[in-house]
Amino acid sequence: MSSKLAIVFVAAATALCAQETPLDNSVKINLPPDSPLTLISANLGESHVSQRGSAVVLDLDVTLTLHNSSPNRVRGVTLLVAAQEVTPGGKASVSVPSLDVPPSQNFPVRINLRLLRPAQIAGGPLVQVNLDGVLFQDYSFYGPNRLDSRRAMTAWEMQAQRDRRYFKSILAARGLEGLKQAMLESLNRQAERPRLDVQVSRGPAVTSAAVGERNVRFAFLRFPGEPVEPVEGWAEIAGNEARNPRIDVRNLSSQQVRAVEIDWIVSDRQGKQYMAGSVPASGPTFNLKAGNTSRVLQDSALCFSHLAKDGGAPLSIAGMTGFVGQVEFADGKVWIPNRESLANAQLLGILEPSPEEQRLTDLYRKKGPKALADELSKF
Amino acid sequence: MTHPNQSILALYAGRDLGWFARRRTERHLSRCRECRDEVQAFGAARDNLVALNELPAISWNRLAIEMKANIRLGLAAGECVRGERRAGRFALWEMLSGGRALTAGASVVALVAAGLFLQRPAPVAPPAVATESAVLRATANGIELHQGGQTLSLLHVRSDDAIYSAGAQGSMRAGYVDSDTGNVTINNLYVQ
Repeated sequence: MSSKLAIVFVAAATALCAQETPLDNSVKINLPPDSPLTLISANLGESHVSQRGSAVVLDLDVTLTLHNSSPNRVRGVTLLVAAQEVTPGGKASVSVPSLDVPPSQNFPVRINLRLLRPAQIAGGPLVQVNLDGVLFQDYSFYGPNRLDSRRAMTAWEMQAQRDRRYFKSILAARGLEGLKQAMLESLNRQAERPRLDVQVSRGPAVTSAAVGERNVRFAFLRFPGEPVEPVEGWAEIAGNEARNPRIDVRNLSSQQVRAVEIDWIVSDRQGKQYMAGSVPASGPTFNLKAGNTSRVLQDSALCFSHLAKDGGAPLSIAGMTGFVGQVEFADGKVWIPNRESLANAQLLGILEPSPEEQRLTDLYRKKGPKALADELSKF
Repeated sequence: MTHPNQSILALYAGRDLGWFARRRTERHLSRCRECRDEVQAFGAARDNLVALNELPAISWNRLAIEMKANIRLGLAAGECVRGERRAGRFALWEMLSGGRALTAGASVVALVAAGLFLQRPAPVAPPAVATESAVLRATANGIELHQGGQTLSLLHVRSDDAIYSAGAQGSMRAGYVDSDTGNVTINNLYVQ
């Protein structure tokens, strides 16, 4: 009996293994001939294609080793990941900000992707990885910028410089003990930050929440020196769903603005505030000349629920607050709020930390204050 | 020694066995002369079948007419054997009453019901891709874009904690520190 069971088990395992196939040449990495980055290797690790019932699953776990062949230090990279036959209009990207790669040095970029699609669709799974942009130390940029990655990476780099300045000033004034205290405060803020489960959809409404729908106006926070001010705005709210946010903004600067991002906070009936997301406006349809007013508008729906560990109940939206999170001028320069403004508006406990603050606190947690001080002294 | 049954040997002779069963049968044949002979006999029978294919065509219509005639003859002979037991309307009534009629009626109803069941129009599935809107959401180990039965996920398996943020233009972002490299990685999914 046991030998029969063993045979059945071996046969089943053989059948299961037979359903999994390696990817071989199904992943293509495209770097332009004049790219400042060169592909050294692409390690596919345990990437594979498997059949699960009537679906095909592509698991891609690839580590790219890129070489900085430019004369500048690389601060950030964004790769556009396109999966053949994937949902119409869907795109993915992987960015690595907060880098400091000197010329002629290699660095890794990891892509971990899963694609599930019906088996009936013809054609083998094929993933193409293209370079969307590279940001250098002097804020110069290379790349097709199809995903507006120039603005995103410039803003991350400015946030990195802002937060490094802040932690370096603490180190200079209060030494390692002060730095340790600042790190513990940051880690505590990150752990205590109220978080929500957010679902974004475009096209027809996800829920039938049209019943009881009402327009809710934004309350706005203002920062000293902001180049763009929010004038008025509203969104359609029904239960835990907010739809079609529209915000009028005025350009207070003397330069033309080509992109604005309004950060969006929602509050529940108890007055507890949560970071909901952002409402960006950019592209050829958005043009904000000096002194002019324009509308930031998005045709989408955001559904908010408490995290599963907190019960997962839908959040009843009672109020909304907005503030200017990013402004990109026509010359490519980017404005972000400074740390003092965020602290004064008591936003540090609500906003997500910058990628650099996330990296620095992780370094402190794993290697201690001395390693962090060494890192801060690098640039 | 346990011998494979006749059907296994016949399938083996016709090369119709699966890989595992074929290997097991081969192992048995290597040490069993009796079964080898059986397999040879099945092989010879297959050759004869091939030869039979070359026989002149059979007149199936003629054969059918002969069979029908034989059936009628058999029925007539049966009536003769039953004699003059019952005749006329009463015999017919007896045939349609009692347990036999009930069984026949139930069989007819079951046959009609099965026919209706098999011939009913299949429900037409709505065209999911056309009507379903694209949805972006965070999952336990990544962010995913789902539409029309297809899902694209970007995972952060090398981190315990990620920070998610949503964009009203139709994007979802997950930022995490890669535990191997110490670099921050930001995964983005966009729907247009």
